[in-house]
Amino acid sequence: MSKLWVVLLSSIIFACGAVQSASAIPAFARQYGTSCSTCHVDFPKLNDFGKAFKDAGFKFPKNDEDFIKVPPVMLGAAAQKDVWPHSIFPGTIPGLPPIGLRFNTFFQVYGKNRNNFTAGTTGTVIPPTDFQPGLFSIFMAGNFGSGIAFWVDDDISVGGSGAAGGLGDGYLKFHNIGRLFKLPNDSLNLRVGQFEIDLPFSPARSWNLSGWDIYDEANLGALNGMSPQNVSNAFAFSTPGQGVEISGGHTYRGYHYSLAVLNQNTSGSTADGANVSPVVGIFSDSNFKDIYGRFQYRFNLERDPASRNEIQAAGAIGPRDHTYLQLGTFYFYGRSVQRFQGETAVLTAREPFYRTGGDFSFNYRTFNLFGLYMYGHDKNLLVNADGTGFFSGAPAHFSGGFLEADYLALPWLMTIMRYDRVQSTADFLNGQAGTPQNFFSPAGATRNRITPGVQFLIHANIKASFEYQIRPQQRMFDADGNPITSPFRTNQAVAGLEWVY
Amino acid sequence: MNRNDVLVMLAVLVMTLGASAGTISGKVSGVTGESVVYVDAIRGKTFPAPAEHPVMDQKGLMFQPHVMVVQVGTTVDFLNSDKVAHNTFWPSFQQGAKRGPGKNLGTWPQGEKRPFKFDQPGVAPLLCNVHAEMSGYIVVVPTPYYAITDKNGDYKIENVPDGQYNIVGWHEGGKKQTKQVAVAGGAKADLTLSK
Repeated sequence: MSKLWVVLLSSIIFACGAVQSASAIPAFARQYGTSCSTCHVDFPKLNDFGKAFKDAGFKFPKNDEDFIKVPPVMLGAAAQKDVWPHSIFPGTIPGLPPIGLRFNTFFQVYGKNRNNFTAGTTGTVIPPTDFQPGLFSIFMAGNFGSGIAFWVDDDISVGGSGAAGGLGDGYLKFHNIGRLFKLPNDSLNLRVGQFEIDLPFSPARSWNLSGWDIYDEANLGALNGMSPQNVSNAFAFSTPGQGVEISGGHTYRGYHYSLAVLNQNTSGSTADGANVSPVVGIFSDSNFKDIYGRFQYRFNLERDPASRNEIQAAGAIGPRDHTYLQLGTFYFYGRSVQRFQGETAVLTAREPFYRTGGDFSFNYRTFNLFGLYMYGHDKNLLVNADGTGFFSGAPAHFSGGFLEADYLALPWLMTIMRYDRVQSTADFLNGQAGTPQNFFSPAGATRNRITPGVQFLIHANIKASFEYQIRPQQRMFDADGNPITSPFRTNQAVAGLEWVY
Repeated sequence: MNRNDVLVMLAVLVMTLGASAGTISGKVSGVTGESVVYVDAIRGKTFPAPAEHPVMDQKGLMFQPHVMVVQVGTTVDFLNSDKVAHNTFWPSFQQGAKRGPGKNLGTWPQGEKRPFKFDQPGVAPLLCNVHAEMSGYIVVVPTPYYAITDKNGDYKIENVPDGQYNIVGWHEGGKKQTKQVAVAGGAKADLTLSK
């Protein structure tokens, strides 16, 4: 407990002591000459205006040109539209390179039983305290005119190594193409490239120090030489997908939907999308396209219709986020791929899987309560006795989700209380047959986590964050329902400092 | 003496009085950007409040003008010309070292105005609680004799009657400076302000 206080005090002192003159503003702030807080509650969490800005293709929803302080470079006079198709359709590029940079760093304290990974074995040796450089990433985004938005972000270095970085999202989004077919305004957009699927709460742009556990849940069976073969699907929702997506509606009021067709992804890595030779192993390939769909509806609850339909509600002392209730649902269908040596040839198992669930978000002034439930199911194809085909084994499935309450006590101070839960039979299978695959998902049936936190905006672009991850006892069972390892439980305190510029 | 004679005499009187009004001019140094120079309260003299309503606009995520000077009793119309929601408030009303209560005017749609009458001298530092970078100032002065400097710091206050006055220099974030000036057809007064 004393360590907790040390970390708490350290983060507060850090937050107060680090205050100095800084006027750092990333790409959009530079372009429009406005503060981060125009679009963010507690960056990167978006307020209603930020959602509308994003929905509009990284533009002010109305009269965008009136707000741009750095005029865009014209790639053709506007009047060139009149002579199209006998000229290139005119577009623009931002007047300044639309670059934003982000860096974060952490200090972590682990609980005393941090190395009690499994009974009788020593897992990763975890130090009691640890300074950790986080990531340094570059992100570029904006609009090319004609409603064409772009986004590219890349982690230049991760964990200080410089080696583990990679492309996050990189896409073009064609906004409001429905106008070409005389559809209602903003009812049809097209996105192409690599992107995080349209999740209700984005893990890539989460404001929490640690991710929501359910988004990282993969249905992993035993990696035990493929015999017997179990589900080994490393796909998780937090991994960006490669493909195309249509979407429409708004995220700040009314309906919003998206439907995406994506490269199959068994490895959980975006780097393995290409076709591969039919050799034994667990691969991603592009021979099947996964499908993801989402629908949500947001009820803005202001009584006054004019206020209800505006981007922000008209509060007594100024515009504010709406009081709203948002309900949504999502469904992902895919097939994971495993190849192994059969009796006479390499056999390919494509195991169908799906993820489905629902979510809600309720906002009242500066209080936001939201949550998500997900159920995942993987068909389990096992090699038959003569090595010529498959039969169906017990499917692997998991369920769980999270519930989080954010309260913005002051414009620069947000308190967070969160509960994560994952129940997984894949972990159950894993516990029977092999070594746990990663530290945070040991063999076990259910993982619970309670995470109180607090975040301070030192400036609109500098944030000090603290969270304490409480993991109650985890129970693990064998096939007969008997506990097979000692209870595993480690708490973790994390303090983070992050800035964007 | 007929009516025409009276009118002629009145005209001569007015012209005579006009001839005794002068111009205070000078330069404000030590700071960059617009400063305000005004004649401070004159003992025993009051001035009627102007009927005109100057407009403080919110346009392109900026208060325009950035600095506005008005005489005590003036009603300022706050306008939102943007297609985004704005708010106008000032956290306190600065009257010298004293800080009076602030005011939040709320929010209103594009094209609409919200009037507010300033009946005390002082400075209202304008903010918008939606767009943190927006800032403006309304400097409320006790006399109709005031000017805003140009970009070189030069100013000119016209039609100041002859007499002894205190002139005050004000700059955003700076310390006020007061200086005595004797106007007899005209006067020069340079001010050096500091932050």
